[in-house]
Amino acid sequence: MFLKIKNLEKHYQKEKPLIKSLDFNVIKGDIVSFIGESGSGKTTFLRCLAGLEDINDGSIELNKVVLNSSKIFIESHKRKIGFVFQDYPLFPHLNVIDNITFNLDSNFKNKVSGILELTGLTDLTKRFPHELSGGEQQRVSIARAIIREPDLLLLDEPFSNLDSSIKLQIKNEIYNIIKTSGITTILVTHDIKESFSIADKILIFKAGVLQQYDEPFKIYCNPSNCYCAKALGDLNMINIASKIYYLRPENIRIVNNSNYKGIVNKCSFVGKEFQINASFFEENWILFSKNSFKAGCEIYISFNDNDLIQFDSNCDNYFTQPTREQ
Amino acid sequence: MEISLNQIKKNSFKSLIVVLLAFIIVLPIIALFVVSIGFDTTNFFYFADYLLLDYTLSTLYLLGLTIFFSFLFGIVPAWFISTSKFKGRRLYDLLLYLPLAIPTYIMAFSYGDILSFSGPFQSFVRDFIPSLTTLVNQDYLQIEVLSILLSFSLYPYLYAACRISFTLIGNNYINLSKNLGLNELKTFFKIGIPLSLPAIFSAIFLISMEVLNEYGAVSYFGINTYTSGIFRAWGSMADMETASLLAILLFLVVCFFFFIERWITNRYNYSFKSNSDLSPNFKNSSKKLILIHITSLIIIFAAFVIPILYMVNNIFVDFDNIDFFDVFKLSKNTIFISFIASILIILVVLFIQYVKRISNSKVLNVVGEIISLTYALPGAVIGISIILLFAPINDSLGFLLIGSIPVLVYAYFIRYMAVAVSPILTSFKKYPKKLDDAGKSIGLKPFQFFRKIFVPLNKNAIIIAFCICFVDIMKDLPLTLILRPFNFDTLATQTYEYAIEEMITKSSIYSLTIIIFGIILLSILSIKQSKK
Repeated sequence: MFLKIKNLEKHYQKEKPLIKSLDFNVIKGDIVSFIGESGSGKTTFLRCLAGLEDINDGSIELNKVVLNSSKIFIESHKRKIGFVFQDYPLFPHLNVIDNITFNLDSNFKNKVSGILELTGLTDLTKRFPHELSGGEQQRVSIARAIIREPDLLLLDEPFSNLDSSIKLQIKNEIYNIIKTSGITTILVTHDIKESFSIADKILIFKAGVLQQYDEPFKIYCNPSNCYCAKALGDLNMINIASKIYYLRPENIRIVNNSNYKGIVNKCSFVGKEFQINASFFEENWILFSKNSFKAGCEIYISFNDNDLIQFDSNCDNYFTQPTREQ
Repeated sequence: MEISLNQIKKNSFKSLIVVLLAFIIVLPIIALFVVSIGFDTTNFFYFADYLLLDYTLSTLYLLGLTIFFSFLFGIVPAWFISTSKFKGRRLYDLLLYLPLAIPTYIMAFSYGDILSFSGPFQSFVRDFIPSLTTLVNQDYLQIEVLSILLSFSLYPYLYAACRISFTLIGNNYINLSKNLGLNELKTFFKIGIPLSLPAIFSAIFLISMEVLNEYGAVSYFGINTYTSGIFRAWGSMADMETASLLAILLFLVVCFFFFIERWITNRYNYSFKSNSDLSPNFKNSSKKLILIHITSLIIIFAAFVIPILYMVNNIFVDFDNIDFFDVFKLSKNTIFISFIASILIILVVLFIQYVKRISNSKVLNVVGEIISLTYALPGAVIGISIILLFAPINDSLGFLLIGSIPVLVYAYFIRYMAVAVSPILTSFKKYPKKLDDAGKSIGLKPFQFFRKIFVPLNKNAIIIAFCICFVDIMKDLPLTLILRPFNFDTLATQTYEYAIEEMITKSSIYSLTIIIFGIILLSILSIKQSKK
């Protein structure tokens, strides 16, 4: 494994740990997306990886070198880790080329033109940060990080400050840059859609505890607990034979007649289809349809039993990792 | 439509008042230029031929050295306090501000006496280290020593500006620099200093203006500067014409510095996102901790503790001869005049800034620039200008306006108005124009909105502006010396008069009283600023 995180613990006050027993590995070249709510410890974890914070227990190993353990602490600039900070801060008194080559070792100077080309910045080298768009600033930040050929690239909320109109384009550009350079990357985000489109693996984090670490499709279809299931998309609860199951909205079909009857509360157009909020079995459900329905009208649904998701009784406790029954 | 026309009329009326106020502010300067046109320039050209070069060189030399030492004393501790966490950090932070409460002339008088042949320093060396007696037995009333003493009082301008700037750079850039392999020293030179250039230049400009304005210290040290030249021509030689022409020259020099500062500040005014993580970030090795403590303590002791201890000692030595009634009377005079002038300044600044905000007029922006120039004008220039303005009125009315309290307050008003503008304007800018629209939408008239919303919202900034004005006016010497009423003394003028008569021990009680008032107000200011 290229990156090994073993029993990592981090706290500022012992009684309030931020990260508890974090344990996972990353394969070389993978993009791993770290998902969690604000304050869940995502950025602290990145800072630990980058050497901006010392860990309290466990170890971090990158490319067979222990970076941090109870006895070892390798300083930030010696770790071969590139960090693209949130808001992608560029030095405002330096132009693009000076930002990219800031404090750059002479060994990497011959990489400049290649990186500029890869990041599409060749024509912008003389511009200052205030003369760049958000996307361009972000590419400069990434160029500055990858020109040093890091073993690991860390991206902290890389798309949070971009307009939704250019987000998709920038995301694709960043994805291509990372994949072309082949750098192992960890990106922190709270946007699920970002993770699905860019990550090889997703790591879900809640209250300092790893909830699930797997490929996006597997997590979506096979969540380890309610938190992971809800974090990745809408979920509708159904009681069948005194047992609680869950259903994803896209696995529900609206039919002319069935045993499952509900009342439409609201129907709103959300682009290519209608989102319906309806009451089923005294629960509020979300489902989608090509057709519109008036509020108050009755609808019937059906689904495949294979799409039912069931958790054990510990489902809502994200401090443990309950097993799925199905 | 009718309502909006009325509104425009009302706004125009208010704008007219603001323009009128600006005219009142620049009136003495206009008078200086207009009256000087008909002057006999023989004496001035004699002065220009034989003395001007000497005055210019010594003014610039003093200026350069003072800036250099202020830079040294201000920037290094500001960096340590802003970026490192250590025990005693908050106390050092406060103590490093406090030398601002010691007027430059008091610093110069105190150290002049401390370092004199009969002073404590040389006496100590003679008694305990006799081998060094010859070495330390020097004439310390030199321009280089004066520059160090001036920088003891003036470095807090740089310290305060850099402290804010280094803090606002925040941890984003510091973490980034660590990640890119920079150590603390490189981060300081490659990031801290370049990103703080506008703040540094603004502070250097303020220090330069204080040095150009300085009279008490330079006259005590016998240094020839433009200001001392104005006083010499006006006071000793009774040559108002030469004094006026020198004042014009000094005015032009100040304008030159003013526009240079504006140009540099705009040129290097980088826009960057200051981030919310402003806590100190650098780790402290034991060597670095020793360096932090030594640097901070040397500055605190030299610029604050030693002069204060010296004054306290003088008070104990001379305790039986102190006229406490006189101290009380002069304190009352000082507080009275500083209070009246500060209140007037705050009211006018609030009015001007609020009208500027609601009217969006370009003319009012020019007015703002004019007001900010006034702080750069040395007291001697304003003093001479006011004498020129009021002399004809004195003659025609048959009673003395020059040397009256209203004219002295008017002079303070011109000189110190710009001091109040900065905190109030910064605070005003924090609140978006939508807030004004919200006020209008719920039916508040502009004055009601100002009273009920703006004054409470900007309360801290108003208190800060008042404290700064009060401290500056209380310390003022050149203007008060020129324009004070007959038989009206302040703590500053009394300190100066005793010092110039070589009665430093007697002046200490007056000096210390000014400093105590200054410390109280600066502490309030510091608390309010941290709340802000």
